[in-house]
Amino acid sequence: MSPPIFSPLFHAGAGPLESRLWSALAEIDDPEMPVNLVDLGLIYGISVDRGCAAVRLTFTAMGCPASDMIMADIRERLLAEPGIEEVRLDIVWDPPWTSARLTADGREALRAWGLSV
Amino acid sequence: MEPANSAALEALLKRGELVESTSEMTPDYLRELKHTLLVSGDTELISAPAYYLAARKAPSVNAFMTGIAIIQDELAHAHIAYHILEELGESQEALIFKRDPKAFRYPYAFDVPLESWTELVVANAMYDQAGFCLLGDIHEHGSYGPWKRGLVKVMAEENFHLRNGRNWSKRISLAGGDARDELQRAVDWMFPLTVEWFGLPDNLKQHSAQLDYRLKGLTNDQLRQQWLSTVVPFMESIGIQVPAHKEGDGYVLDYPFPCTFDADEKHWDFKDPCSWDAVLKRWRARGPRNAEMVALFQESFSKFQVRA
Repeated sequence: MSPPIFSPLFHAGAGPLESRLWSALAEIDDPEMPVNLVDLGLIYGISVDRGCAAVRLTFTAMGCPASDMIMADIRERLLAEPGIEEVRLDIVWDPPWTSARLTADGREALRAWGLSV
Repeated sequence: MEPANSAALEALLKRGELVESTSEMTPDYLRELKHTLLVSGDTELISAPAYYLAARKAPSVNAFMTGIAIIQDELAHAHIAYHILEELGESQEALIFKRDPKAFRYPYAFDVPLESWTELVVANAMYDQAGFCLLGDIHEHGSYGPWKRGLVKVMAEENFHLRNGRNWSKRISLAGGDARDELQRAVDWMFPLTVEWFGLPDNLKQHSAQLDYRLKGLTNDQLRQQWLSTVVPFMESIGIQVPAHKEGDGYVLDYPFPCTFDADEKHWDFKDPCSWDAVLKRWRARGPRNAEMVALFQESFSKFQVRA
């Protein structure tokens, strides 16, 4: 299976600032599971335009009970990055999240925690 | 006469090993284990109606979903305790659906109505923190294997509840004005109720079979201190006042403990200290919402029973 394309490692086209933001989001753990948002495959894309970071993301379920916390965490973390003054979150459901979006590290983290993925 | 496996059990506990089946227990160990499980199951179960009645006041759809997810977790945690009780010979059905409301063994705090989203998130920040301390202790030190293993995931999920409580408390405090005043009022009545949750102080509780049997590892006062050491700094960090402060290695309460509480007014009278006998009397009589909450999960049970 090919690796998910939206992880910092594979996001080859990202500029230095975007790469930094990918790494920043990889520091945020999902509030319910011990895996970070990037390895979980929730982040679909990041772009920056004149200090405004736009993040395209999804959730594992439309009724995700942690969505508020995840959005607040992303805002807080990105606003702490030099050069970012505004954060725009674009929630998308297409393509829908499936476990295929997990990175190898994410898969391993969830397995170690007891989830079969 | 001592039961046949009394010495074997004592030796096993001394070696720090786990009890895995009833054949290794003495009748006394089994009784204490069941009591500890019942308090835990009842506490998780009653938190569902208590939180539900407040989650209805959620300020957004997302917030409501979070509230409902927490309730779902609590029901699952209750199920773990009752399921083990069933394996130990109790009837889950009788325990949940056929007991008198006053026979439930959860902390008195839940009997005082949570009536707003603010009170719900303060409960997440303080009551769930109390549950976290108590269950964390059982998870870490407990001698009964099946329960200890069941608690691994419970602890992870309780963390989510704490986060909801802390995130929202911070958010409400930052909002300022009336919202922040409401938060402070909720903390004012809920803080001493949670301090009380951990029970009699160690100097009045001479002997604990739960400690002897390693059904818990820390004393009431140690657990209370653990709770204070997380809640006091957090509340202070978001600019909310609490009636306790740090002194040396521990925390000291700024009010007489215990003192009188008016549940209908949600008001503590710090000028009116009382005895622990008076507190135990209040606990045994249960509080304003006890019957209503138990009825919420008991009332429909008999409707759909197939009659023999």
